[in-house]
Amino acid sequence: MSDDIKITPVNRGKRPAFFDDPAIDQLMAIVMAMSAEMSVLYDRVDTIERLLDKKGTLSRDDIEAFRPDQGVEDERNDRRNDYISRLFRIIREERETLVAHDKMDEYNALMDELAKS
Amino acid sequence: MPLQHEHGFLVTGNHDEMNRQHYVSRLRMHILNQIGGGMRDVYENRVKPAFEKDNGRSPKNETEIHKAMMADHYGRTWSTMMVNCQDMVWDSVRPAIERAQPDLNERVRGVNAHYGSLNLNSDVAMPRYLEAADIHRMPGNYHSERADNDATQGALYDRGRFVYNGGAAGPFADGIPRTMAAYIKARWPDLKPKRILELGCTIGTSTVPFVDAFPEAEVHAIDVSAPSLRYGHARAEALAKPIHFHQMNAENMTFEDESFDLIFSCIIFHETSRTAYPKILEECQRVLAPGGMMAHTELTPVSNMDDFDAFYIDWDAYYNNEPFYKTYTNLDPQEWVTGAGFAQDKFWQVSIPDLDRSTPEFFQEAVTNPTVANGRAARVGESARWYTYGAWK
Repeated sequence: MSDDIKITPVNRGKRPAFFDDPAIDQLMAIVMAMSAEMSVLYDRVDTIERLLDKKGTLSRDDIEAFRPDQGVEDERNDRRNDYISRLFRIIREERETLVAHDKMDEYNALMDELAKS
Repeated sequence: MPLQHEHGFLVTGNHDEMNRQHYVSRLRMHILNQIGGGMRDVYENRVKPAFEKDNGRSPKNETEIHKAMMADHYGRTWSTMMVNCQDMVWDSVRPAIERAQPDLNERVRGVNAHYGSLNLNSDVAMPRYLEAADIHRMPGNYHSERADNDATQGALYDRGRFVYNGGAAGPFADGIPRTMAAYIKARWPDLKPKRILELGCTIGTSTVPFVDAFPEAEVHAIDVSAPSLRYGHARAEALAKPIHFHQMNAENMTFEDESFDLIFSCIIFHETSRTAYPKILEECQRVLAPGGMMAHTELTPVSNMDDFDAFYIDWDAYYNNEPFYKTYTNLDPQEWVTGAGFAQDKFWQVSIPDLDRSTPEFFQEAVTNPTVANGRAARVGESARWYTYGAWK
């Protein structure tokens, strides 16, 4: 159709890559996209459960038409935040354990010391 | 997180698309606060000590910190997540807007100017600083026209920015201009502007709070981007807000001398250029009436930050398609305002506490005792104070 409008970049330039191997940047993008799709799926299940609670039965149209009110949205946001926290724990943990990590030298020295008879 | 106010022209999406958008908002806040919040810890505890060990001294400026942080895997992970998330914002809103076309353009075109007006001028050339880069990686930037009488970019900006803010600026995504308007009224209660002008209004999100704050005033708003103005006009009419939109370049306005009592802008200068910035200030000086005032909220100058924060703030200049950002944050606004003809003693600057995220007492403190906060204030969802400066004529 000639009327179709496609929202495409015009001057976005080269995508920045931050790792020596750009595949790591790509992998990160895939993980993040997948994280969103899992959340969307969970929201869909949440919608189905809420509608079943209320109506006992439902149609696909009911699901499509479902719009969360502020209360439902707040619940979902709490759940999304917890989910993100679990998913990206490994990155956040690095910040939390920075000091402990720096003590690895001490720990290695202790291991060496204890290994000596 | 509040839901976005749906004004009739807003395109959100279907069930899954909206949930995807709301997820991206949460993800962005996590990257910004939880992961981004760790950047300084990584710097202090790992990157800086390693630099000192290798060089026998500390990093001496933001450039050295930048280089060292981007060599660390945490800096790289945070950065790649920031860029990805920015693209996920636009990707999450794009399909629904494409689907809403061409009907959306038809409806926008059919809007009657009941409260305000829309004055387009196709002779206005797009400045290079907007034409040459998709700012914030927004596909097509503010101005691309993809059909006759196109409003696509306005719709993309409206929903995309709300997702980006994660609702942190309220249901109307107007936390900063509401804060500005409330502050101006509280600090200068005698200022009763008859005519108000906003520079770089895009879709008028920031104009509306000034209509609400100064109901007696005639409010005008200019921008160079026709798609943003078309959409903004439709939005303002749907919200019953009288705003006169003009397609005009703030560097070279067609308004008469001394024709406005209050001129304001909301975070626009860092998206212009070193040539445009002083021209815009000179135009403010020209169209302001004697006794009138201008007020501009912008990024905090990096001279008010330590080198690490300067690096952290200027990250966007390199990786978020904001080519003038770093140059701008290194300028001293006072020097440029006075350079444009405003008197030294008529200049003011202040860090205003965000209206939604401060107590009335804290807000009032900034009115009675205005100071510029040290530290960064830039990305929505991260900052609680907005650096604002201006001058009286």
